[in-house]
Amino acid sequence: MAEIVLKNIKKIYPNEKTKKHRFGKKAKEPEKKSNLQVTDEGVVAVQDFNLTVHDREFVVLVGPSGCGKSTTLRMIAGLEDISSGDLLIDGKRVNDVAPKDRDIAMVFQSYALYPNMTVYENMAFTLKLKKVDPKVIDEKVRSAAETLGITQYLDRKPKALSGGQRQRVAIGRAIVRDPKVFLMDEPLSNLDAKLRNQMRAELIKLRHKVNGTFIYVTHDQTEAMTLGDRIVVMRDGFVQQIGTPQEVFNHPSNLFVAGFIGMPQMNFFPATLVRDGASYQLKTPKFTVDIAPDTCKKLAASGVDAAETDVTAGARPEQIELVAPGEKGAICGKVVVSELMGATVHVHADVNGSEFVLVINTVDFDKSKGSSFGIGDDVWFKFEPDAVHLFDKETEKNLIQA
Amino acid sequence: MQREKITNRILTVVFTVLSLAWIYPMVMILVNSFKQNTAITTGTAFNPVTAETSAGIANYISALTKQGFAAAFGYTLVITLTSVALILVCCSMCAWYVVRVNNKFCKALYYLFVFSMVVPFQMLMFTLSSLADSMGLNTPYNICFIYLGFGAGLAVFMFAGFVKTIPLEIEEAATIDGCSPVQTFFHVVLPIMKPTYISVGILETMWVWNDYLLPYLVLDSTKYKTIPILIQYFRGGYGHVELGPMMACIMMTILPIIIVYLLCQRFIISGVVSGAVKG
Repeated sequence: MAEIVLKNIKKIYPNEKTKKHRFGKKAKEPEKKSNLQVTDEGVVAVQDFNLTVHDREFVVLVGPSGCGKSTTLRMIAGLEDISSGDLLIDGKRVNDVAPKDRDIAMVFQSYALYPNMTVYENMAFTLKLKKVDPKVIDEKVRSAAETLGITQYLDRKPKALSGGQRQRVAIGRAIVRDPKVFLMDEPLSNLDAKLRNQMRAELIKLRHKVNGTFIYVTHDQTEAMTLGDRIVVMRDGFVQQIGTPQEVFNHPSNLFVAGFIGMPQMNFFPATLVRDGASYQLKTPKFTVDIAPDTCKKLAASGVDAAETDVTAGARPEQIELVAPGEKGAICGKVVVSELMGATVHVHADVNGSEFVLVINTVDFDKSKGSSFGIGDDVWFKFEPDAVHLFDKETEKNLIQA
Repeated sequence: MQREKITNRILTVVFTVLSLAWIYPMVMILVNSFKQNTAITTGTAFNPVTAETSAGIANYISALTKQGFAAAFGYTLVITLTSVALILVCCSMCAWYVVRVNNKFCKALYYLFVFSMVVPFQMLMFTLSSLADSMGLNTPYNICFIYLGFGAGLAVFMFAGFVKTIPLEIEEAATIDGCSPVQTFFHVVLPIMKPTYISVGILETMWVWNDYLLPYLVLDSTKYKTIPILIQYFRGGYGHVELGPMMACIMMTILPIIIVYLLCQRFIISGVVSGAVKG
């Protein structure tokens, strides 16, 4: 097993030479297709990526489509060239080492099983190429198959398998190699929702059985939170935050991370942070919220001195509680949508143009202090004292720097 | 629904008529090959075989023995097998390279291959015969290189179309598993492309087997006759044509190809569709 270090990794896709029109007309500017930076050299897909993956750690790269996470994974695998920076596996610089010599195994989103070979041959392929003794190959393949529960499919071809079975074969193919690092590129994305939940739990079990170093890429924040020892949140080629799921959830470093992690999304609303000596208040046209003393201390420590700061405030739906109508400090909103999820209800309430999502347990209905959730109804709620996150309006960074 | 049924019925009738029109000449040749020479004239060509006009299998025997049919069959077989093998091997690899390494040179090369299908053979045949002579490519054993040149256009086009449908991830998985590009081709790409091999193989076989012009221009006819050339030899001097044996010879020429085609029919259609649509 191994430690992987990525130092200042950068990936640039070079521009195609813009055509020169005849008669000296200016060439058309290339269209901007995404939010990625376009420099003179080309489109920068990954910027300044720094990360150390410790031995036997499960790191998840998460972010929206086009943020550079798959590109980073492919650079680690050796399928993409690294434009600048260093990639070290176990202390050895492997930028120019061929993929097969990096001792890695990759599971693709579409599984990439060889259609003309049986499951057994698929899993044995890499060992066969290395000319390993057939008895050893047989042993390894059968043990991996047993771990994954696919022994009965060993003689089938991939087209005779379901999605979940194919995915297990793909993982089996990786396990058989006994690599230093397992790389997984959105392996659960092609499965239906129910199977995805099942396989997620199985992956956690598997991880403890295999006990290797994993680097996992996904766009699903739920997978990131449940599977990862540490999460790397990416956006448009930049790393937004690296931390354990708990850290990223409780202390998002900027607005994007706060909005990306957590289901349902954090509620954001514009406000003004007013400083009054050592205590702070959050003021909006419709309501005022007192900031908890702990948070006030942290704000002071982070150098938030100005009397008034424009902020974007955030509060997680789970940390909003219902209160009796008219209670002091309560916020009143008008119900716009009410989604019954089963054990909870997601209530969307409009407060002065900002929409707040509240997550309320259905068992609380009867004890809901008189409020109901029909459209147009009033609903009264309060934030838990330490639940408010504050982000600078311009820079979008969390005011409290850890 | 009514309209669909009527349309289907009309189409069935139209295509049946067309099919009969296509088969008719072959059936006529088959029938005439059993007639005596005198019974095959412009007037009586369409008459069925009767007891007087029947020549039994004499025509076939005559065709087999008179002009050295066995030798011609042998040469045609050699030319076809070597040419088709060469085309399949070279063009599949070329198509895979052109599609995967998608730089300017490869794109230009691809368009060149496609364009070569447009250029008619007649434009080249004069220079070709002298070139083949000077390069020594004028025996049945190395005429396959000339066939490679002419057959490459269609073959690369069809193979390239199919390679584009193979997901790149499978080849990437092979790379990570430890395959060199050559190993990736033989272990992964080639098995997936089997249907295309069969369909390209059959199309090229049909073309090379029946080809008259190229062997006639390039090969020394006194030494090496292929079957299409042999058929012409039934035209004797002074315009006398031995129609009976000629018909028999024609039948024996097309029979192997028909059998091969009937056996591999479904591969041709699926191969052409996947090649052409994705191209």
